[in-house]
Amino acid sequence: MRRSLLFLVLLFLLTVSVAFQNLLPGIPPSQERLQLLPVVFAFGVMALPLVPALWFAFLTAVVQGLALLQVQAGDAEMGLTLPVVFFLGWAIVLQMASEMTRGMRWELHALGSSLVTLTLLGGEFLVLCAKRGGVPWDLSVSLRIAVPAAAALLIAPLLYLLLRSLVPLVRGAEALPKQTGFGR
Amino acid sequence: MKKLQITALVALVVTIVTFCMFQAGTLLHLKSGFLGVLSPIARSGNAVKSGIGNLSKDLMTLDQLEAEYDRVLAENRRLRAENNGLRDLQQDNDHLRQVLGYRERSSFLLLPAMVLSHDAGVWWSTIKINKGSKDGIAPDMPVITDRGLVGKTTAVSRDLSEVMLVTDENCKVAAKVEGTKEQGICAGGRNPGGELQLTFLNKLADLQPGQKVYTAGVSGGIFPSGISLGTVKSFHARALDGEAVLEPAADARGLEEVFVVTGAK
Repeated sequence: MRRSLLFLVLLFLLTVSVAFQNLLPGIPPSQERLQLLPVVFAFGVMALPLVPALWFAFLTAVVQGLALLQVQAGDAEMGLTLPVVFFLGWAIVLQMASEMTRGMRWELHALGSSLVTLTLLGGEFLVLCAKRGGVPWDLSVSLRIAVPAAAALLIAPLLYLLLRSLVPLVRGAEALPKQTGFGR
Repeated sequence: MKKLQITALVALVVTIVTFCMFQAGTLLHLKSGFLGVLSPIARSGNAVKSGIGNLSKDLMTLDQLEAEYDRVLAENRRLRAENNGLRDLQQDNDHLRQVLGYRERSSFLLLPAMVLSHDAGVWWSTIKINKGSKDGIAPDMPVITDRGLVGKTTAVSRDLSEVMLVTDENCKVAAKVEGTKEQGICAGGRNPGGELQLTFLNKLADLQPGQKVYTAGVSGGIFPSGISLGTVKSFHARALDGEAVLEPAADARGLEEVFVVTGAK
């Protein structure tokens, strides 16, 4: 019941994050956009048990895939297969990392969010290069990838603080590292 | 592993395989449904954003009035505040008259729409507008402002549509250069930075900065002829053709209202 509640809360947050990140202004000077979805995703897959985490990763992939879907001449440029592989892969990696630290930690969540953002944007760029041809890599491309990844590192602890009270309900307090302060 | 977990895992695998087999048309239908889900959140978020914007405007006015308090008499301050208010109303009035005038002057049937959000996708340039299929919008309709071409509609839900901006690499428009016979293909870059590239020009074309570029309106195309795309910033010859860099006529960053071209008058 509690797991279902967290799952539903995370699903709601996932949908809201997609709509909300569109309303946020760009980050100066080049107006890079904040990515909230990877932060919610990283929290979800680390907080949930394995099978619900995999379902959550799949739903994240569907949401991200549909949000970015562009059909050109009857062909979907970025379908659902690549996002599904990407998010399932990261879900397994983050679950393993979470197990290794005997529970979720805010540092791990921040690092995970940043890495997911970095690889998501970098991966999208490479897929587009493979599909459209050419690799026009320059400083602005690097900034468009690096700035949202760095921003995710800063935003992640805020989400962790907001939702951490829900996590022990799911994973069991005995599985969490005994720790005081910001981490649990 | 418990039986329930195995069942959930098998169900996940089956769902993934099913979703990955969907064709582009099915995915576009799914996206329309997804936009329908996002619509209330986007509309509420936009309303909150506008509210916050108005609040900050009010605070700025208060700050200005406070700064003036030290310098002017109370009566003078009241009159200045009143004048500021009237000037804002005059600006709003002028803007609305301009928008209305363009709609009436235009030779197209135009449906006004409000921009709800500028999408956060890094490699795609899209916006969402507050009109959808119930207002008569369909995919591949041109979207313009009184300044020029903005883009075209892509995914459409009942009351929300996604518009691919002309600065997106995938939004290709047949274009012609004012005062010449030069025609080419205009599109944005992979890394949307606000400029347009006009390619497939004659490499000997003598284009000068400031020349205007319009849609060419090829038969069977989406965009009608004569809509402003931008002005030439620079031109250089490549190995096989010439390429011009354009400053877009309609700057997408400050867009608040647009018109969807639903047909010709």
